[in-house]
Amino acid sequence: MTDIFDSVKKMASVDRNPYLDAAIADGSKVIGYFCSYVPEEIIHAAGMIPYRMRAVDNRGTDRGSVYYSAINCSFVRSCFGKALEGDFSFLDGIVFSNGCDHLRRMYDNWRYAGTGPRFRHMFVAPHITGDTALVRFTDELRGFAGSIENHYGVKISVDALKDSVRLYNEKRRLLAQLYEYRKSGEVPVRGSELLSLMLAVTMMPAVDAINLIRDVLAAVPGRAVSGKDDIRVYISSGCMEETAHLELIESCGAAIVADNLCLGSRHFDTIADEEGDPYESLARRYLRHLSCPRMMNSFKQRLDFLENAFSEYAVDAVIAEKLKFCDLWGGDMYLMKQESRKKRFPILLLERELYGGGDGQIRTRVQAFVEQVRNKIYSETGMVRAAGAGYRTSGK
Amino acid sequence: MKGIYGWKPLHIMRISRILFILIFIFSRIPRFATLLMYVLRPLYVPTTENLLNRKFRYGLLTMGAGLLTPDTFRAYGDGALAFVENFTDVLRAEKSGKPLVWVEWILNAEILAAFDVTPFCNAALNIFANVESMAAPSQIIEVAENQGTPVEYCSAMKLNVGAYLIKQIPAPDLIVAGSHPCDTNVSVAQTMEYLTGAPSFIFDVPYWKDDESFRYIERQIWDQIAFLEKHLGKKIDWDRLRKMLERVNEFNFYLGEICEMHKAIPCPGTMINLGYAWVVREINLKSPHALKMAKGLYQAVRKNYLAGRGIVKREKVRVLLWFPPIAFFTYIFKWMEDEFGAVIVADFIGQVSTVPIDTSTNETMIRDLARTQMHLAMGRQCHGPVEFITDEMERFFVDYNIDCMIFTGHQGCKHGWAAAKIIRDICGKRKMPALYLNLDIMDQRCLDEQGVKNEITKFFREQGWG
Repeated sequence: MTDIFDSVKKMASVDRNPYLDAAIADGSKVIGYFCSYVPEEIIHAAGMIPYRMRAVDNRGTDRGSVYYSAINCSFVRSCFGKALEGDFSFLDGIVFSNGCDHLRRMYDNWRYAGTGPRFRHMFVAPHITGDTALVRFTDELRGFAGSIENHYGVKISVDALKDSVRLYNEKRRLLAQLYEYRKSGEVPVRGSELLSLMLAVTMMPAVDAINLIRDVLAAVPGRAVSGKDDIRVYISSGCMEETAHLELIESCGAAIVADNLCLGSRHFDTIADEEGDPYESLARRYLRHLSCPRMMNSFKQRLDFLENAFSEYAVDAVIAEKLKFCDLWGGDMYLMKQESRKKRFPILLLERELYGGGDGQIRTRVQAFVEQVRNKIYSETGMVRAAGAGYRTSGK
Repeated sequence: MKGIYGWKPLHIMRISRILFILIFIFSRIPRFATLLMYVLRPLYVPTTENLLNRKFRYGLLTMGAGLLTPDTFRAYGDGALAFVENFTDVLRAEKSGKPLVWVEWILNAEILAAFDVTPFCNAALNIFANVESMAAPSQIIEVAENQGTPVEYCSAMKLNVGAYLIKQIPAPDLIVAGSHPCDTNVSVAQTMEYLTGAPSFIFDVPYWKDDESFRYIERQIWDQIAFLEKHLGKKIDWDRLRKMLERVNEFNFYLGEICEMHKAIPCPGTMINLGYAWVVREINLKSPHALKMAKGLYQAVRKNYLAGRGIVKREKVRVLLWFPPIAFFTYIFKWMEDEFGAVIVADFIGQVSTVPIDTSTNETMIRDLARTQMHLAMGRQCHGPVEFITDEMERFFVDYNIDCMIFTGHQGCKHGWAAAKIIRDICGKRKMPALYLNLDIMDQRCLDEQGVKNEITKFFREQGWG
């Protein structure tokens, strides 16, 4: 019997879903966007559907690599390959971002290839979070809204934008509520299931997304998916959309309970202020929400978030990941490793290609890590792992 | 690898300082010095490094290996003295009690001149590590890699991290860093702040280059002044800044004129002049000797220009060297001139296209300093859309009557490689012969000096120029 989680997983495995198709059939316009720093509310307030760009269901990096190179990340190559194949022909517009070097060249290559849609906007987010950057970012948001208004001949009223802020805040609250459940001893939702949900709700109308999250929330009470011996893991990474990858980690005895992922906590962290000027409110929210390492003065914020997760989610260990050739997450992993030595928390650093296989290798590493962490837990709690066969309580 | 960990702190800066003192001394007798360098060429030009030439080969090759004119070499001596001044200040910073402030290489260090601190370009060893030995840059990069910094980082930044870890660059009291030209810079700025514990001021470099972007940088310079005043416990000295910027204007004028004169056929100057001047700018623009060097270089090129004389007797090929120059092979300019009559007339780094700074008020100084910062080499091309790279490239094709382009495809440069097809197609459409090198500009483990020579030789032969 299929449950809501199976349905969500199915939705996440393709680049369109019935909700999106229905909205398109009703005449809604869809705007693709690339980064956690692009405010969905502005697209929504213009009466359109924000669609988080993805590489699911891609046919490899071959076509994208013609424009990019072997030292560019597999996400941009796969995603751009999909664009060249016409997989995103349903989009009415696309918003690029200066999220990273690979991504900012997407704007250039996309224009150069002459691939649709006609509305192509470069959205620029600062790399710092101070007041000067906030003012600049607020202007950027206004400019973005103006750009949509001019191109599509629509008006984004302040009231409409405030309504969108409230709606997206609702979505964030519901997602936060879902995360709350992961604090309990028996984890009711897998990390892979949440990633599926995030993939699904970032490609459908916001109202449908909210309803879907509510359905998931309703199915959570009484559910338990973690094993008795599972270690509780915090996962951090940039672009991650392979649910199978998280399933693999979870199958090794790791329950993912908290994260710093684009399609994870960063998507719903920090509620936007519903009072006052909505542009200023959105600028504050998007600039200062849980950051990714493209933000140059926010490592402490990320670290504080992690430390908080240790206490609130009873995290045992950290898995930090990056795609190959990602300088930003590579640097963050280096800093996390330094912190793990100082504060003595277990950390596993993984590098992968998007949908790049290597499952056996990853499985071996995760299994070994889980084993180490378990041993550490048992040692610290007076339990000693016996070689190959369960464990016993030492000294009792 | 044993040797590298045995180096005393700031060992490379000390030997570089000695080298530049010698260069300065010899530059006062430029005819004799260039003749001597020419006579000694068999000891260091055709051979690679050995026990005899290790400590001076890179220096002599960078100084043109006896192929520079005496007046040009004299100007290099002034530049060398600017290096010596900064390195002396850095080596004595602890004793002098002056705060030492790191400034990233494509940011303005000018503002620091108004605070009486010791500025230090933390990328200095990108060039000067080669003075120690041909192997030193790779060894320092390995230190960073072994400590866990990502191997795919731009090697220039890995070299900075490695140099800090083995105490070859001084610890800072403050750091001024920025978000361009690439992600490695964004990432390493955070690493350095973490490792050093020094308070950092970060410039968020805008994507576009319009009035709003200039104003944004301008506002950040005001923030930077507040940051420096807070951490240094003193107020900015506007008169010092004014004097500094007046020198900067003059410096930029001379170099800008050289760039203009390079458009002449035959080209009256060698591009290493502008590359060298760029390094002087990075290290110690506040020195009066930097200005003296710029003026000297300008006069030397102008003399050729007025006489209609080229830097080589028979100019066969005019080359655009596009993307960052090869740090370990600074002799590429004179080598190509000498070997093929091929003159690099313009490149990515040496081109000066800054705006004059209006020093009439404090506000105009900061306004124009912001614009200057956005026009610095590498910064101006690498922070925004690909057109910032390709428009300048295509303009140079025309303005400098370019016959071919050599693209220095640097291993760690993700955004550069992500634009490679666009660049290739532009050259293809224009029927511009182009050589796409796949190398690492800092690390000879990827493609060494001889490898670069081989590739270029093969390319020139294919074009019928070799």
